[in-house]
Amino acid sequence: MASLASKKKEKIKEPGVKITWKEIKRQKVLLLWAAIIVVYGIIFYYLPLGGWLMAFQNYKPRTGLLHSEFIGLAKFRQLFSDAAFLKVIRNTLAMGVINLVVTFVMAIVFAILLNEVKSKGGKKTVQTISYLPHFLSWIIVTGILHDALSSTGIVNELLLKFGILNQPLNFFAHPEFFWPIVAFANVWKETGWNAIIYLSAITAIDPSLYEAANIDGAGRWARIKYVTLPGIKPTIMILLLMNVGNVLNAGFEIQYLLGNGLVQSVSQTIDIYVLKWGISQNDFSIGTAAGIFKSLVSIVLIVIANQIAKHNGEERLF
Amino acid sequence: MKAKKVVSALLVAAMAASMFTGCGDGTTGADSNSVGDTQSSEDGGVKEFTAFFAVPAGTEINDDNEIQQQIAEITGAKVKETWLTGQTAQEAVGTLIAGGEYPDFIDGGDGMAQLYDAGALIPLDDYIDKYPNIKEFLTEEEWDKLRQDDGHIYWIQQFGNIYGEEKATTHNDEAFWIQTRVLEWAGYPEVHTMDQYFDLIEAYNEANPTMEDGTTNIPYTILCDDWRYFCLENAPEFLDGYPNDGSVIVDPEELKIIDYNTTPTAKRYFQKLNEEYQKGIVDPESFTQTYDEYIAKLSTGRVLGMIDQWWDFAYTAGDSIKQQGLDKQGCAYVPLPITIEEGMKNQWHNSGGVLNVASGLGISVDCEDVEGALQFVDDLLGQEVHDLRFWGVEGEDYLVDENGEFYRTDEMRTNATDTAYKASHLCTYSYFPQYSGTSRDGINAMKPEYQAKEFYDSLSTNVQDCFAAYGAETYVDMLGTSEAPGPWYPMYSHSNNMTTDTEGGLAWAKMGEIKHEYLPKVVMAADFESAWEEYMEVYESCNPQAFIDEMQAELDRRMEEAAKYE
Repeated sequence: MASLASKKKEKIKEPGVKITWKEIKRQKVLLLWAAIIVVYGIIFYYLPLGGWLMAFQNYKPRTGLLHSEFIGLAKFRQLFSDAAFLKVIRNTLAMGVINLVVTFVMAIVFAILLNEVKSKGGKKTVQTISYLPHFLSWIIVTGILHDALSSTGIVNELLLKFGILNQPLNFFAHPEFFWPIVAFANVWKETGWNAIIYLSAITAIDPSLYEAANIDGAGRWARIKYVTLPGIKPTIMILLLMNVGNVLNAGFEIQYLLGNGLVQSVSQTIDIYVLKWGISQNDFSIGTAAGIFKSLVSIVLIVIANQIAKHNGEERLF
Repeated sequence: MKAKKVVSALLVAAMAASMFTGCGDGTTGADSNSVGDTQSSEDGGVKEFTAFFAVPAGTEINDDNEIQQQIAEITGAKVKETWLTGQTAQEAVGTLIAGGEYPDFIDGGDGMAQLYDAGALIPLDDYIDKYPNIKEFLTEEEWDKLRQDDGHIYWIQQFGNIYGEEKATTHNDEAFWIQTRVLEWAGYPEVHTMDQYFDLIEAYNEANPTMEDGTTNIPYTILCDDWRYFCLENAPEFLDGYPNDGSVIVDPEELKIIDYNTTPTAKRYFQKLNEEYQKGIVDPESFTQTYDEYIAKLSTGRVLGMIDQWWDFAYTAGDSIKQQGLDKQGCAYVPLPITIEEGMKNQWHNSGGVLNVASGLGISVDCEDVEGALQFVDDLLGQEVHDLRFWGVEGEDYLVDENGEFYRTDEMRTNATDTAYKASHLCTYSYFPQYSGTSRDGINAMKPEYQAKEFYDSLSTNVQDCFAAYGAETYVDMLGTSEAPGPWYPMYSHSNNMTTDTEGGLAWAKMGEIKHEYLPKVVMAADFESAWEEYMEVYESCNPQAFIDEMQAELDRRMEEAAKYE
């Protein structure tokens, strides 16, 4: 928000416009609106960062932020010497990347496929049904997964019927299945929703391009490859950049709700770690330290991705 | 034009709604500060308090609950209770602390110490003397045990308080449970060891693989969901004949702390589970099922046996089995006195109350009417209100015979286990201070389940037959009873409140973490020996000695404190 406001000010500086009292008076309404946004940004985005102090203190709720003892980087040292935390970073990154790749690709493929459907009614029906799961909360989705994958659930029944298994497989007892289950759940829940943006980007493509391609003898595949995909490329790039910054938000609810003791070494994410060792153990400092680490890594990731995009002359965030 | 009309209609509706809620808030606000308030005549000037209990034991009752209303008429106050759902106690309490807003009454469960650390509770010592029922509730020694390191009392432990003579009927604690149909089929054999227990279950399941309606039996299941993994984890202490100190064994002679995770008994117990798992006796879903799935499973009557605490399944699955009439098929559970070797004394059941000083009912700094709140607690302990809470309304929920003894008809008993009836009619305020034992009238029990005759009549004939076969009259008789352990008991009241602040607490947290992962692995492993070795190695890396040392220090401290009262 703050950057938006400063951009506005830059524009005022365009040649020919000098900042004078008269000019400020003339634009007072605009400035007033900008100021409100700046204040909002300061209160809700910057002031809470003061809480980061906790990570450098031995914070106790009783003594508060002002009277807790400062201990420097001790909490960070504790964090990185904890084998559990290193595992948690691995899990978060792995699930984040898998989710990003799978949901991203699926959404684009789905949008393009949907766009190729000729029947209007069929297209609308499929689209509506496919984005409905987005509105289910994770607790419901995990409930469905638990039922479907249980030893008497539909998945095991089918596998037994087709003779692929001799006895029911307990999917949640095997660490190697956990990441794929999470990825599948994400795809099932979000593909339809994510595809909406791509679909609208596709409708914005000039129909004359398709006509021209037709005349040049392009088939369906070629039209997708040479018209549709390049047409939505800017959208893809921007969304990709934004999602890269979100990789470490690999999730909390689904892992928390689906996890159990047997798979905890692959199921726990940074958010769960913060809850478990920060809030539950009354050690807010270690929770804050883990949170800071997460934010820093996210910023680094997004900057790197942005630089790569810039270097390749693609659409970018900043 | 049309659209505009719709929008304006919506707006009007929204405004009206917000005005109504505004009114509603206003009146409740007035009610809660109704001292000297003349306006709140509508509700009879009932004060309204809020309460949060970081335990999953309760269910929310309806707002117009009948007994709650009656109690409010007598005491002039009512409490809106909320319970823990889907989190651990520490998570819920940690979130409250981070938010900095508390309900009037609070029991933090395993997170009680956190509330004290955060300065969220009001010291009660100056108030206690003013309320006779509260004062009488605990002895001087017990009040002193509740004092925190700053010398003040912040919470009142609600349970384990026996008024007058003890009435032992229900075994409210942990045990190996088994369905009566299994015992009946085998001709009620004596079952004393773990090996005999599993042999019996195996034999029964082989002869009767299904229930009467054709549903396949599940011979043995283990609840392992989050903090409830005690059903898997702490059996070794009982198998060795020690009482439920929960996190450690206390050697009563030497007064030394013993770690039950590494004893030879622990290894034998898990090896047995491993064998049974390989044989298909242990439910393969044991370690991945949630608590709800477990309760649903028990409620079908399919599960022949398990370890659990009575309170953890009896009021949900147990009541459900009764409601469906499955107890007539022998699906009700009875406990068995099991130890690792034949001929050992078991301490699954101890007589006397257990004062768990780790938690209790506290009053938060956000409570505006501390005296009103404590007056309410005081009133709840009066005999009239206590009877209302646990027996219900005379004539509706129980009857009185010519000797003044309370009893219930079958219909009344069925009602008392019916979920809808419980929500609309009964109100036990189950996490406020309460008595078991004998009523002040000297005749009845404080609670129906402890009334010997009433208790026995409420059992299904299958359970009565089973008891008769073993010469027992109650659940407790099935196990035999032991004297209350020493004054240190129970040690879990210390470990429950540990945080990672201390070295021992950090070790304790890590031990819990790795046990959650490795105990299921050990049970499921194809090669038990190597799995056990790996587990022990990882276990040692948590530095359990630091935990044991801290528990030893606490044990010594408790013995010193106790010596002052001798």
